[in-house]
Amino acid sequence: MSTINTPPAYKQAPWRRQLQIIGAFMLVLVIVATIAGLYLSISGRAAAAGRRIQQLEMRAKTLNLEINDLRTHLALISSSISLNDRIDSLNMQTLDPHSAIYLEVPGYSPDLRKEIDRAPEPEAPKAILLPEYTRSLWDWLREKIWTINPNPLQNTNEVLP
Amino acid sequence: MKTHKGRILFICIIATVFAVAICVQFIRIQNMDVAQQILEDSKAYQGVTRLVYPNRGNIYDAKGRLLAGNETTYEVGLDLNAILKSQRTTVAKAVSDVLGMDYDQVLAYTEITPGNGNPFYIQLDGFVSPEKIMQFEALVKEYKEMKVGRNEIRPRLNGLMWTPHNKRSYPEGTTGSNVLGFYKYLDRTQGMGYFGVEETYNNLLAGTPQMVYTAFDPQKLSMLDEIPPGADLELTFNREIQAMAEQELDDAIEWSGAKGGSILIYNPKNGEIIAMANTPRLDPNEYWNYAELFPNPEPFNPTISKTYEPGSVFKAITVAIALDSGAVDLDTVYSDDGSYEIGGVTIRNWDFGAYGDVDMTDCMRWSLNTCLAWMAEEIGPDNFYAYLKAFGFDRNTGIDLGGETHWPLKLPGASNWYPIDLATNAFGQGISVTPIQMAMTVGAIANEGKMYVPHIVKAVIIDGKRYEVEPVLAGTPISAETASKVTDMLTETLMDESYEKANIHGYTFAGKTGTGQIPTEYGYTNPLTNASFVGWGPSEDPQVLVYVWMQEPTLDIWGSQIAAPVFSRIVEKLVVLMDIPPDNIRLSNQAPDQVMNIGE
Repeated sequence: MSTINTPPAYKQAPWRRQLQIIGAFMLVLVIVATIAGLYLSISGRAAAAGRRIQQLEMRAKTLNLEINDLRTHLALISSSISLNDRIDSLNMQTLDPHSAIYLEVPGYSPDLRKEIDRAPEPEAPKAILLPEYTRSLWDWLREKIWTINPNPLQNTNEVLP
Repeated sequence: MKTHKGRILFICIIATVFAVAICVQFIRIQNMDVAQQILEDSKAYQGVTRLVYPNRGNIYDAKGRLLAGNETTYEVGLDLNAILKSQRTTVAKAVSDVLGMDYDQVLAYTEITPGNGNPFYIQLDGFVSPEKIMQFEALVKEYKEMKVGRNEIRPRLNGLMWTPHNKRSYPEGTTGSNVLGFYKYLDRTQGMGYFGVEETYNNLLAGTPQMVYTAFDPQKLSMLDEIPPGADLELTFNREIQAMAEQELDDAIEWSGAKGGSILIYNPKNGEIIAMANTPRLDPNEYWNYAELFPNPEPFNPTISKTYEPGSVFKAITVAIALDSGAVDLDTVYSDDGSYEIGGVTIRNWDFGAYGDVDMTDCMRWSLNTCLAWMAEEIGPDNFYAYLKAFGFDRNTGIDLGGETHWPLKLPGASNWYPIDLATNAFGQGISVTPIQMAMTVGAIANEGKMYVPHIVKAVIIDGKRYEVEPVLAGTPISAETASKVTDMLTETLMDESYEKANIHGYTFAGKTGTGQIPTEYGYTNPLTNASFVGWGPSEDPQVLVYVWMQEPTLDIWGSQIAAPVFSRIVEKLVVLMDIPPDNIRLSNQAPDQVMNIGE
């Protein structure tokens, strides 16, 4: 059996072909532009976040200095020297030990100590850049796929009857 | 058509060769030696690596009150690149007005062209107060709001920079400075602590400096640089008791005409230092006065660094050894004829008197040198010095303060030891001690024979976590029974009329006076003495031990006249500050365990 190569009965009109080529090109262009735009947007936000980190670092340093300064200032105005000056200016006198009497006060403990007032130290440096700025589109897509919840009801806090 | 294809092929080949050549050139350039150097150099423009010093840790007293902290100060300098030519005089005038610097000198700085060996930045002052910075800020604001004409130039302070940083601060000034030491904050990179807690715990307080890289590219910044600050220290020291002890010491020096003095308040149950008052005292905020205040060889903290012959306070140790070793008992009788001969030397009593038949309590009551010399012979030299070593007189106490010292104990068999030393050592002559040694050893008598290493740091706080410092037992040189006997004996003697000046209204304490002669190169020819007193109590359950040492008082030479009243005044205030109830409440069957004091 012999094969007969039959030429097509029609040919695409040139304008239609051009339109297809232009369409395909535009599609690629739009995709590239979209990715570029997305990349630009994320880069911009990452840069803004980085700048924010710099500002926060400066702010943290300033606040630390201010905390130290205020703590020392408080100690200065409540130091024994300052208190004695204030006692003198108020015409108060130191208690004569012979005139002290002792009374039992339920609930009072002479051992009560003022706890050292200090801010808790951070446990470890914390990343403040959201993962959206550091992961790739592929990572994001994979994460979204893996975290699709098959039964959304299981995650709700609603109490079912 | 054929020719056309050939041309296209030729152009493609040329383009490919050109592209390959470019790639080869890329690879070649990137692998050249100079390329590596360029790569390295470029890192300098990508970010900056700084050695960051953590904030120095704070020091608190036992009640959480700040004794050493940090306050903000500013470095002021000129960024020569940023100074506008037209504003040089404005900057120079502002600096001159606010910082009081020479106008011409500052103007000369502003005219320096940066680079080519010239600096880019000139530091004008490393420690400028916030008040002065506020003056600069006010000037900036004033210039900003100033109305200027079209052809006028608005004055600006561009290029004048101020950067905040920490400065060590001691809010209590001189209070407790001999214990705290000081930090040389003017040296911002190599600064370290000197003396006291600042020196001993320098590494903990300073923390660990870290190299921190900060990228200029904001996209490469993802973490906040957290440099853990240095550890905070919580001391056993009580600021109010310290201030009171220092006030009493200063008063005592004034009325007694003493050369100096020390007062040590110590917890014999765990070795905690509650207060340690000395003279002179340096304001650590102005540590540069150190050399003037402490000319060589004056020690920074005499309580731990200065030895002296204590005199009769040492008899408390000797009688404890005699009782513990079984050489004597409380009712052993010594017949005193006013002199005792040993090694060819005659020992006499302080008043050259003879007291007849006396028991051991009377020996202590009248502080008889003859009796103590006899007691030492009864103990025997080997036994006596073995006990002294057990008490720790041959070594430092191990207190956690820099600069502790001790006098080497002379022992039998050594070329510098003579039989007379046994007798004189028994009543505190020919042997030198530091007040901290005496407090620790007498602490064994006050604490059932158990002797604790004195310490000043109660807890270390690292990253918000508090680590308690456990007391360290230095030894148990005597039994609890002996300790109790000696405490009872010295409680009874303190009730005697001759100790009236040491009495404390409403409280029973044990104690012993001491008057130590001062040796010179010609013997004990100095007419002045060291007056001391050691006391502990309340006698049935001692919670505190007070050691008073007055150096060379001129009003009177006797410990009973100089040191005893100081002890009494301190303890009267101490029991109030420490919430120790008086005997009638404490010893009653229904003694309240929770009490407070109020003034009438």
